[in-house]
Amino acid sequence: MIPALLGSFLGMMATGVPVAIAMAGSALVYILLTGDLPPFVVIHRMVSGIDSFPLLAVPFFIMAGNLMNHAGITNRIYNFALSLVGWLKGGLGHVNIIGSVIFAGMSGTAIADAAGLGTIEIKAMRDHGYDLGFSVGVTAASATLGPIIPPSLPFVIYGMMANVSVGQLFLAGIVPGLVMAVLMMLTVAYYAHKYHWGGDIAFEWPRLGKAMVELGVVIGFPMVMWGMLVAGMPFNAAFGLCLLALLASDYTWKFDAVMPIMTPVLLIGGMTTGVFTPTEGAIAACVWALFLGLAWYRTLTWRMLVKVSMDTIETTATVMFIVAAASIFGWLLTATRVTDMVALWVLSFTHSPWVFLLLANLLMLFVGCFLEPTAAILILVPVLMPVVQQLGIDPVHFGLVMVLNLMIGLLHPPMGMVLYVLARVANLSIEKTTMAILPWLVPLLLSLVLITYVPSISLWLPHLFY
Amino acid sequence: MTETKPSTAPPEEHVLDETGHMHITDAPIELSHYTFEAWIAFFFFWVLAVTIFYQFFTRYALNDSAAWTEEIARYLLICVVFVGIADLVRLNRHIHVDIAYRYLPKAVCRVMSTLVDAVRIVFFAYAVVLTWQMMQKMGNYKMTIIDLPMNSVYAVCGFGFACAAVRAVQVAVEHWRQGYSVLERPEIAIEETL
Repeated sequence: MIPALLGSFLGMMATGVPVAIAMAGSALVYILLTGDLPPFVVIHRMVSGIDSFPLLAVPFFIMAGNLMNHAGITNRIYNFALSLVGWLKGGLGHVNIIGSVIFAGMSGTAIADAAGLGTIEIKAMRDHGYDLGFSVGVTAASATLGPIIPPSLPFVIYGMMANVSVGQLFLAGIVPGLVMAVLMMLTVAYYAHKYHWGGDIAFEWPRLGKAMVELGVVIGFPMVMWGMLVAGMPFNAAFGLCLLALLASDYTWKFDAVMPIMTPVLLIGGMTTGVFTPTEGAIAACVWALFLGLAWYRTLTWRMLVKVSMDTIETTATVMFIVAAASIFGWLLTATRVTDMVALWVLSFTHSPWVFLLLANLLMLFVGCFLEPTAAILILVPVLMPVVQQLGIDPVHFGLVMVLNLMIGLLHPPMGMVLYVLARVANLSIEKTTMAILPWLVPLLLSLVLITYVPSISLWLPHLFY
Repeated sequence: MTETKPSTAPPEEHVLDETGHMHITDAPIELSHYTFEAWIAFFFFWVLAVTIFYQFFTRYALNDSAAWTEEIARYLLICVVFVGIADLVRLNRHIHVDIAYRYLPKAVCRVMSTLVDAVRIVFFAYAVVLTWQMMQKMGNYKMTIIDLPMNSVYAVCGFGFACAAVRAVQVAVEHWRQGYSVLERPEIAIEETL
């Protein structure tokens, strides 16, 4: 009966049945055919699959991202990025990357990300006379940073599926994300040098200085607070004091982006020090974003809040319906020993983690081309995790490798989904978009190799704290 | 058949001014197209949000988190998700794989896409029946902390499935009339997210 389970699943997936229905539906087919279990078990399993407190992080991460994703905040973040790197040669290319670093993982699904921010970035670059192909390439490449740099929805899902601490995954993403950003900025610099591009804003010390000060405040806030806590101050007092100082300085000096950038800083800081669970971190991020939008900047209208809630519900339902269906499907895969068989099969021809990682990379890149990252994680983790554990690969490290692969898959020609989205956004043919993205696969695949085969890039930071 | 949609592109505007500042504006917000199940999910979502903000507040400000909030929050999330599913059916936003449609001939795609519509209707309709069967099995089983029957949660799930089934029929009829679905024209989905 196992062929019926797998066959109906793959058949439905290929025909275009929604992933969640393909999972729950094939489980139903299996249960009906074997007759061992009452079919309503499927519903029970689906409901209990999302009956978990940690999963409450999902809607609030999504909401925090959506709350930050309106013009009032977006303008500030881009202005900050412009001050910081807009004067460099190939300025807007760098701005594009820094913008993605800051917006990283703040929003729901990769496709919506590419469509939303991508449209703005490509428009700005067109205004400044950049070649459309270059704009599309850098936008696609920098979009992969989103889920690597925390906070990131794919990491929350992976953490839940693989039983790994989300806090560790978040920390593990920081250094690789920065490595990727540097490699991409080097690529921009190469283009700028080759085509003799200038900067996009005039170089002014005051503007750069202000951006540097803002960066200093963002880095300084958690440092000062850490110092206060080490000195023995109670948490609430230290936090209150720092917060007051932050609000006072923002009020006085009218910073561009300190407050929005503080969102991930608060969240990751809180999670690393053990003050927040991921769920509480997500809620804190939401409260902060609501405070900024409704009270501090007053750029968020009530109508917008309704729209943000509706978008949040939509993305939450999309992701969580698959989580629910994956719980029955994954359970059946384990119960019927399919996962064991896969593990045995893989281990029959290799015991080398290196070879396995190479094969896993190829598989995940391929799957990533036509499956949403979260859906892919939910299908792949139960299948691959037993092998990962047997080979002694750190599941945190593997999580990073998996998410990066799935993200690169999204824009990998010839099938990647983001490819099609960006082609539409930029009004380019698929062929031209493919050609535009190809050179960017160099820094991306280079980072993939580095992150896959140098585990310490990802594991160094989490090992420092955990 | 090529593009039938009239071009509604706004006149070219510059998002980046000469002084190097961004001026992005938000698109006008349209709330009238949300269905009543979307508003029900909206209601559950905000009850959830208030509950969880309250829990957050009690834990950090009062150092004493209310235990009932955790349980009710989990159930509210279930309600949001299963009612939210219905709206996704209407909007065709469920995650699916449409790669085959890029390579297969049109007629085959038509058959496959009709099949998908049928599977969706059958699945959601059967899910309603199964939820009903499970509710009978559960009987008067109560929640752990709160004195409410577990079946109230399952009833909401059943309601969500029922709405999804109805929407699936509607969408299937619409696809049948217009002669194509989002699967066959992925560009429609992309257009909507822009």
